Amino acid sequence: MPLYGTLDITQDSKRLPTLPNLDTEAWPLPRAEMMQLLIEVPRSSTDGLLPKAMHPALPSYVILAVTKYSDSPVGPFNLAVLRLGSRAGAHPRGFLLGAVASTDAAALELRARWGIPVEAGEVKFVRRHDRVMGTVKKDGRTILDCALVDPQPVSGSDVQYINWVTAANAPLDGTTQPILIQVDPKYTFHKAERGKAQVATFDPAAWNAPTLELANAIVGTCCTVDTDLPRIRFVMDPLKPVFQGTRRIRESRADE
Amino acid sequence: MKFGLFYEISIPRPWTAEKERTVYNNCLEQVKLADALGFEHVWAVEHHFLEEYSHCSAPELFLTACAMITKNIKVGHGIVVCVPEFNHPIKIAEKTATLDILSGGRLHVGTGRSATWTELGGFGANPDTTKKSWDEFVRCLPKMWTQETFAYQGEFWSMPERTILPKPYQKPHPPMWVAVTSPGTEIDAADRGLGSLGLSFAGFDEQEKKIKEYRRRIRHCEPVGAFVNEQVATTNFLFCHEDEKTGVEMGKKLGNTFNYLATQLISTREVFSSPSYQSLGLLPALRRAATGPDASEQQTEGMAYGDPARIIRAIRKWESLGVDCVNFILNANEVVPQDQVMASLRLFAKEVMPHFAKKPHTAAAAAE
Repeated sequence: MPLYGTLDITQDSKRLPTLPNLDTEAWPLPRAEMMQLLIEVPRSSTDGLLPKAMHPALPSYVILAVTKYSDSPVGPFNLAVLRLGSRAGAHPRGFLLGAVASTDAAALELRARWGIPVEAGEVKFVRRHDRVMGTVKKDGRTILDCALVDPQPVSGSDVQYINWVTAANAPLDGTTQPILIQVDPKYTFHKAERGKAQVATFDPAAWNAPTLELANAIVGTCCTVDTDLPRIRFVMDPLKPVFQGTRRIRESRADE
Repeated sequence: MKFGLFYEISIPRPWTAEKERTVYNNCLEQVKLADALGFEHVWAVEHHFLEEYSHCSAPELFLTACAMITKNIKVGHGIVVCVPEFNHPIKIAEKTATLDILSGGRLHVGTGRSATWTELGGFGANPDTTKKSWDEFVRCLPKMWTQETFAYQGEFWSMPERTILPKPYQKPHPPMWVAVTSPGTEIDAADRGLGSLGLSFAGFDEQEKKIKEYRRRIRHCEPVGAFVNEQVATTNFLFCHEDEKTGVEMGKKLGNTFNYLATQLISTREVFSSPSYQSLGLLPALRRAATGPDASEQQTEGMAYGDPARIIRAIRKWESLGVDCVNFILNANEVVPQDQVMASLRLFAKEVMPHFAKKPHTAAAAAE
């Protein structure tokens, strides 16, 4: 059978975000500008980063995304995330390793509503004529400096975004416990570009992935999308294979 | 209706020193039996880096071994990756001609372009251009096989005039096919006069549409080769057992395991946004089917597992849709013990094949 992750999130549950409940209301996020860079990483550098319930992607890769949300229930904010390409059972997923939001309010809400391991910091999303740049600073130190270089128009139908999985403490069956949460935004594309992924600075420890090494860039995209952060529909036991440990806690959305 | 075997050569972890050899030997033993039983084809894929799912990176060597231990069964490259970073077209022409000679004219050549980032990225190939390079390759190969000398100036490769040797044993050249997974590739096959080597497990309705369109288009094709190879093959799982319930259970286990392994592959589209890979190929259907190795339910429409009567019904349906050949996957990760694979083949040949045979099958071999 495929390989499994080795991370036991129950062993260090205090560092995980905690949700007061699983009744998170959805956030509509119109006209978001989303830069996403996909980069292969050595398999050995991902040891211990992926929960036991999930399968690693082969080859291992990460997704660095910097997004400008111009409208949200907590006002405009930028968000940078690092996700590890993986499989939840048969399905491609990006396991969230770390994130930085540009406002305290966004960081607080994203942690408490979807279990995103996010802290507040400085996140810039800057568009130039020949590139889109993302920079992230925490405590005055640059922890990410990346760009999509020479973007060229493509069709939104050429771009595939995979769903996310977060690890968090949340009440389930009367007990607050570490679980995995599926976050599955919808996307309506207004504009899509593809280009070369470039990373000048990346501090893996600042993204909760101290062993991670970036290797071969695959590709980068920047898209303008209407998206959302939806209600939570599926949660997973962090220690059982996903195909055995998944629970549906809410019916699918009306538009699905 | 013709029947074939289709090998991914799936090998479970841990990969001990003997395990890969054992699985390869199991496959050869199956091929030898299939030849005696009257199966028409043995196909072997070309895949690279696909852990557990397929350890068949040098299919021409496996197929040469198959040819050496068999008499009649046709050996099919299913498929040769027609992307220059994977295979130089001169080498494809030379190796396939050699295999055709060694097999006594039993070679079929499937062509394709790879669907996974795992493979394309591994060879440093650009996903945007694989369809174009495939098109160049399939137009060159017949000329390389048949012309005394050949020269070429193309977008993806070029060569000055040389004599490419040896020439295939079959005249004018071996039949050519193309792997059909993405929607629309059946049209590419038809327009070029190539056989449609279906590698998906789509249901009847979708396959029927594809086959109709293929048959319609191929009547007006401009063949890339010296002749039109109008054939439609599809892929299926085979587990034939006297008891229907036992057969279905083992067949589902085989199918679930194969599908689950397949869904672990990184489709090109998952990581590399490209108009050349708009479709996920067979993966969405597999994901719907593969809820996990212990899944109790799986799509079983048209699957060739169960008892002979059930399998005959399934194949009759495929036949009615216009399928010419069904190629069977016999195992995945060795979940079916070898003795049961062999028994399944024998029972299929004895109880199912006669219902689809134009001429008497080799009953003696089936009875062994």
